[in-house]
Amino acid sequence: MKLSVARTATRDAPGRLGPLWTFLFRYGPPRWTEYVLRNWSGQRLVIGVPYLWLLLFFLVPFLIVLKISFAEFSPLGRPPYEPVFRWLEEGAVQVKLLIGSYVYLLNEPLYVSSWLYSIKVAFFSTIFCLMLGYPMAYAIARSSPTYRNVFLMLIILPFWTSFLLRVYAWIGLLKNDGVINNMLMAVGVIDEPIAMMNTSFAVYIGIVYSYLPFMILPLYSNLEKHDLTLLEAASDLGAGPVKAFMRITLPQSMPGIVAGSLLVFIPAVGEYVIPSLLGSSDQLMIARLLSDEFFLNRDWPKASAVAIAMLLLLVVPIMIFQRFQNKELEAQKR
Amino acid sequence: MQTAERRADKNKAKAEPWRDPHAEGYVRIENITKKFGDFIAVNNVSLKIYQGEIFCLLGGSGCGKSTLLRMLAGFESPTSGAIYLDGQDMADVPPYERPINMMFQSYALFPHMTVEKNIAFGLEQEKGLSKTEIASRVTDILEIVKLGQFAARRPHQLSGGQRQRVALARALVKRPKLLLLDEPLGALDKKLREATQFELINIQEQLGVTFIVVTHDQEEAMTLASRIGVMNRGEIVQIGTPTEIYEFPMTKFVADFIGSVNMFEGQLIEDLPDRARIRSDELGGVVYIDHGISSAPGAMVWTAIRPEKINILRTPPQDTSENCVKGVVKEIAYMGDLSIYLVKIDSGKMVRVTLPNVERLSDDERILWDETVWLTWHASSPVVVTQ
Repeated sequence: MKLSVARTATRDAPGRLGPLWTFLFRYGPPRWTEYVLRNWSGQRLVIGVPYLWLLLFFLVPFLIVLKISFAEFSPLGRPPYEPVFRWLEEGAVQVKLLIGSYVYLLNEPLYVSSWLYSIKVAFFSTIFCLMLGYPMAYAIARSSPTYRNVFLMLIILPFWTSFLLRVYAWIGLLKNDGVINNMLMAVGVIDEPIAMMNTSFAVYIGIVYSYLPFMILPLYSNLEKHDLTLLEAASDLGAGPVKAFMRITLPQSMPGIVAGSLLVFIPAVGEYVIPSLLGSSDQLMIARLLSDEFFLNRDWPKASAVAIAMLLLLVVPIMIFQRFQNKELEAQKR
Repeated sequence: MQTAERRADKNKAKAEPWRDPHAEGYVRIENITKKFGDFIAVNNVSLKIYQGEIFCLLGGSGCGKSTLLRMLAGFESPTSGAIYLDGQDMADVPPYERPINMMFQSYALFPHMTVEKNIAFGLEQEKGLSKTEIASRVTDILEIVKLGQFAARRPHQLSGGQRQRVALARALVKRPKLLLLDEPLGALDKKLREATQFELINIQEQLGVTFIVVTHDQEEAMTLASRIGVMNRGEIVQIGTPTEIYEFPMTKFVADFIGSVNMFEGQLIEDLPDRARIRSDELGGVVYIDHGISSAPGAMVWTAIRPEKINILRTPPQDTSENCVKGVVKEIAYMGDLSIYLVKIDSGKMVRVTLPNVERLSDDERILWDETVWLTWHASSPVVVTQ
């Protein structure tokens, strides 16, 4: 007890900011290496590396994008922009945040509708992936160990080919004189080719095909750990196979379902390549608008605003959801 | 009233239905065989188990006892043979429709449900049970297993003993015709196990459910069972009450598996209805038995003598010609309630003797290492087995 009191007393600043305070002001940049070597254990260093990585390559760029989103459109179409903070002569700070880009996003129906369309495509793609992926993951998890690795290999195998190539291959399959239409016409099922290219259908096909492994793998790793005697117990207590699945397997695989769904949903919202190659130009997804704003209109602030809005709108619900999920897991932990 | 009833039940149990050749078995297992590929897990087993019994299947690992239990539960289907419960053929009844419940060795409690939900699960699967009825039956069974205040906990928040009771409650709340218990006390420590054994018997008597218990632990089988079926290599080698199994093992395997035993190979030299004599080189003497063996004279047999049925004398008895052998004490293990002596007899074989520590003995009264002693036993003690 005494010891901890003494330690608190020697700190420069109270609470959790103490070490940061020491780091920033008592040592200062020239002696940071010295501080790290003196105070950090090996464990902290190991954890520190990914933190540093995220700081440099995620947080800093994010802050730059955030700053640009509040800037004024420059006719040059590229930086430099006016700084956000400006020191005035009277010793005051001028903060200049233009929210014009964000207002524009809200008022422009094109943005709102492609935002909703992106969410819709991502949502249903996730549902389709789940419906396809769950039985597959289940089958792999219950297959004999000899075949299990082969099946897993087959799931991962497509990753050995370039993502772009695989999406291009779908054009060859889906277009009017593509493989599918030619075959159906040769067999005589249809007389005229079905228009599949440049439709939402093609976008769904592309996304579900590309992201299915991201659904299957976390589901598999969850399902594979299930204790099968629980199913025997459920059966013994009078639950038929369907009931046992609904009451035992499904609730216990929730963490896998959530992980897989997030891994599909998040990248699908921001998907650029698949809708550009397979989708129609009438209905654009949000990532396409972002790139058009950036490369065609050369309006960096608006493009940045789109990026920030996309991030916030995705991150906030996901964080809430994960917090809830963590609590559930905490309660379930053995 | 209740005690009178229970006494009546106990008297009924004393009637021992298995002694009556015309009694119908409540559970009838007829010529059951189970093969996994070439491996025969259960080999032509036939059994009759009577209502209200606690029947123990006892055997080492891989003897087929768990396979037999799983066939009763319906998780495995027999390669051939039939199982009848209360007159009904179980062959085409899936596990979820059998009036049989099982307590799993790992308990198999649902980790994502509370104790209450775990127990209610089985009742929710039954048609025509109202919510209030389910709730009241759950409360009642929680009372019986003394877990009332833990209803809202999840399995991982319970101790091993509490989990075991939840598993028992979950199986019993369905009021099964037959309850199967797979190593019910295996995961508990020794003290808790002893307490739980008697609790289990009490609950069984209270509810009158027929129990079939699978265990490898002979002590567990002895305290729980009304009858024990000893299994070896997929076959039932002997069925009997705990006393019968212990005192009158029919084969070398049973004698050896249940408790510890001293086994001497020998030749039958006299076999009359009221007495028999066996000469054993392994013993270095003659064993006199006060009952007949009804085997061919000259046959090779094994004489089994339990360690606690042998006396140690420090001076030679008057008649050393029969049921007596001289030896030297090589090891003494003091266990508190009893002591184990390993005596090397003149033929070179080690003989195990246990004596209760009735009195506190001073150093010169006590049997010591390397002391020459005489081992004797009563003519009724040895058991002779021919296979």
